Amino acid sequence: MRRRTFLKAAGGGLVALIGAGAAVWSQAPIFPKRPAPDAASALGWISHRDGAYVLTLPRIEMGQNITTALKQIACAELGTDWRRVTVEMHDTNMGRVRATVGSESIMHFAEPLAQACAALRDALASGQSEGEVTVVTRPFADLRAFRAGPIVGASPEIAHGRAIVTGAPLYAADVTRPGMLYGRVLRAPASTELTSRPRRWNSRAARAVPGFVAIVEDCGPPIGKARGLGIVTSRPGALDPVARALAVEWDMDDAAPLPDMAMLIDVDAHAPGGLPHLVLDGAPQDGLWDVDMRLDIPLAAHGPIEPRAAVAEWQEDGLSVWSGTQDAFYVRDVLADAFSVTQDRVVVTSCRVGGAFGGKTLCTVEAEAAALSRATSAPVKIQWTRAQEYALGFHRPPSSHRIRARLAEGRITDWDHAQVSSHILFTGAGVPAWLQTGTDMVIGDPGVARGMAAPYKLGRARAAYDAIRLSVHAGPWRGLGAGPNGLAIESAIDEAARVAGVDPLSFRLDHVTDPRLSDVLVRVAALSDWSSGPPQVAGARTGRGVACGIYKDTSYAAVVADVAVDACGSVRVTRLWCAHDCGFVINPDQVRAQCEGNLAWSVGMILTDDLPTQQGRVVAETFADAPIPRMTDLPEITVDLIEGTGPLSGAGETAIVAGPGAIANALRAATGRRATRFPLQPTEFAL
Amino acid sequence: MSFILNGYRQEPPAEWADEPLLFILREHFGLVGAKFGCGVGICGACTVLVDNVPTRACITTLDDVEGRQVQTIEGLAKGETLHPVQQAWLDHAVPQCGYCQAGQIMTAVALLNDTPAPTDQDIDAAMDGNLCRCGTYPRIRAAILHVAEGA
Repeated sequence: MRRRTFLKAAGGGLVALIGAGAAVWSQAPIFPKRPAPDAASALGWISHRDGAYVLTLPRIEMGQNITTALKQIACAELGTDWRRVTVEMHDTNMGRVRATVGSESIMHFAEPLAQACAALRDALASGQSEGEVTVVTRPFADLRAFRAGPIVGASPEIAHGRAIVTGAPLYAADVTRPGMLYGRVLRAPASTELTSRPRRWNSRAARAVPGFVAIVEDCGPPIGKARGLGIVTSRPGALDPVARALAVEWDMDDAAPLPDMAMLIDVDAHAPGGLPHLVLDGAPQDGLWDVDMRLDIPLAAHGPIEPRAAVAEWQEDGLSVWSGTQDAFYVRDVLADAFSVTQDRVVVTSCRVGGAFGGKTLCTVEAEAAALSRATSAPVKIQWTRAQEYALGFHRPPSSHRIRARLAEGRITDWDHAQVSSHILFTGAGVPAWLQTGTDMVIGDPGVARGMAAPYKLGRARAAYDAIRLSVHAGPWRGLGAGPNGLAIESAIDEAARVAGVDPLSFRLDHVTDPRLSDVLVRVAALSDWSSGPPQVAGARTGRGVACGIYKDTSYAAVVADVAVDACGSVRVTRLWCAHDCGFVINPDQVRAQCEGNLAWSVGMILTDDLPTQQGRVVAETFADAPIPRMTDLPEITVDLIEGTGPLSGAGETAIVAGPGAIANALRAATGRRATRFPLQPTEFAL
Repeated sequence: MSFILNGYRQEPPAEWADEPLLFILREHFGLVGAKFGCGVGICGACTVLVDNVPTRACITTLDDVEGRQVQTIEGLAKGETLHPVQQAWLDHAVPQCGYCQAGQIMTAVALLNDTPAPTDQDIDAAMDGNLCRCGTYPRIRAAILHVAEGA
């Protein structure tokens, strides 16, 4: 189908049926490359002309406001005015940078950027005004960016702020191209772990829908094993009626019923001590346990308000894609492979992302848009429906935990944490089963393990897990395993404190080994006036709880929560305090914002997050089926930052290690009942 | 079929008559501030004001707005001068990812138009239907109260 004939066909109200049978797509997975950022590559992020600088952001912006923080670093190191630095999102013409994940942007990108800016500053001072700059790495202490000053340590107006509040285009779905069409790839209502493909459909009915342009059989690689059928329309509102009119019937490999996910990950169905991956390798002694608890944390969606979107356009020199992805380079690599073009002929432009939380790390909607664009020889925009987000994305895995503890003289002497979950870093959405068998044998899944090594003196301590491939794909979700593991560990520590008869905050201080963790506990105790307890709420039981944790061995948080529980068992979080230490702080207000976001997610983990499934597939279609916290779910939040001189670290996933535990422990204090299943069921806490 | 869009009478072409207002705004008029979030009126990212009533553009038809005033986030500022709610959103650094914020702001504008000094309960009632996954709710509340105090 060539552009001219196609346009003529569309313009004349005729139809195009494009492609005859689905292509054979490569079965070899492409893996994201993760180059370590260094000062030399950082030179590619900053440029100077006539007294003005352009900072090409080496990260994607998804609300962590890294744009503002890196601009602060550049300005401070260059010694230039805020208005002289323009920040641009990157495309894949820049040197490769790795995915924006894992709260790494300040931790790993700030210093290389400062080194490059220092080198540029020196070059300009020495009279060099064009050509390449060489960077000689200087000691960290000699960099100007990491000293509090008028820019660093301050909180200037956030980058893109004005564009956001005036509705200017920023996101992938805001991109428009001349002659642009609208697309969707329909897939079977089935687990993406099962092979499925369109069998037949009503082309005639679809053609009759005003705005219909094309049906595209050759519509890109499968998602999981689900092959699709593409539709293209001239207006976005025509997609729903065309999809309905098509009434696609699907061939589905659904002969065998899928095993029940809850059964597969039931920790108590696995042999005690028999879990394959050890995080703590102590040998707890046999005998009766003082604490023996089971926690079950469900499958959960990321739930960004922006369903993923992409615009793709093929031109003679290659493919251009605008995407709201966490990893433009990985998207580029996959597209080049899928469409058999060299990488230099694919340019992926990073747009601001409307919430990602780990969920926009693979190439999905981009390949769909590229395939439909290629088939129609026109630019195509695709934004997934909310239902597609649930059905075709990957999610936080469900996990089941058994934690046991034994105490003597007020101290934990034995600890055993067993967890069964599904894959996170080696997500089933990107890693085929045969390859997972290999990663399972060699290293397990560090994403599941994250946060499983409790930050306490635990005596003879074992922590072990297994990851089971499920029919609903799991993958990275804010904090990876750290949120669920923190909730499980902090619940058990709280029960251990009760057994010991010791105040839970003191009990934690007695068992903490890292002084920075002690510091945040002490700070949050003072901030919340811990010992005063929760204020009375008429007609409700009230309780106060505390929890703490360390994220990725680098950042620290302690949280105190107050809750009120009514007679029906409905739980309200009435107050949250957080003390947070992520080392030297570039932008205190935006670190606070990240803490607030983590606490909102903590409330969600306890009160709302759940992605319902039936027969091994996600059945949620709207936010009504997979709710997220609302304004009335969030209390007043106070965040206290320890703005230390410590090494740079992350803030995007830290407080989620402590927030859920603090809320669950407050609920225990209020009701005498330990929450073991989430989200909370009010009936379990009714009077 | 016409309506008043940010003060100007507009008449979308006939072939767009069946499109939801959201797509007419975004794809025909190029006003992309209102966002697609759920398509069924739950999340509020597409909120615009129809005769000052917060309205889900994703489930609103051209019939629904015929002859009426539709205000979008693009119609709030007067030239370079931001509406007080927009300014408060910047002063409190409300947005994280920002995707829901046009809808949040339009809902807040309508609240403050009707209730210049809202209580926390008024804010709850007005804002509870606008979802934000980043968790900016406490800042949204603070920004609204800030505007109310300055009024």
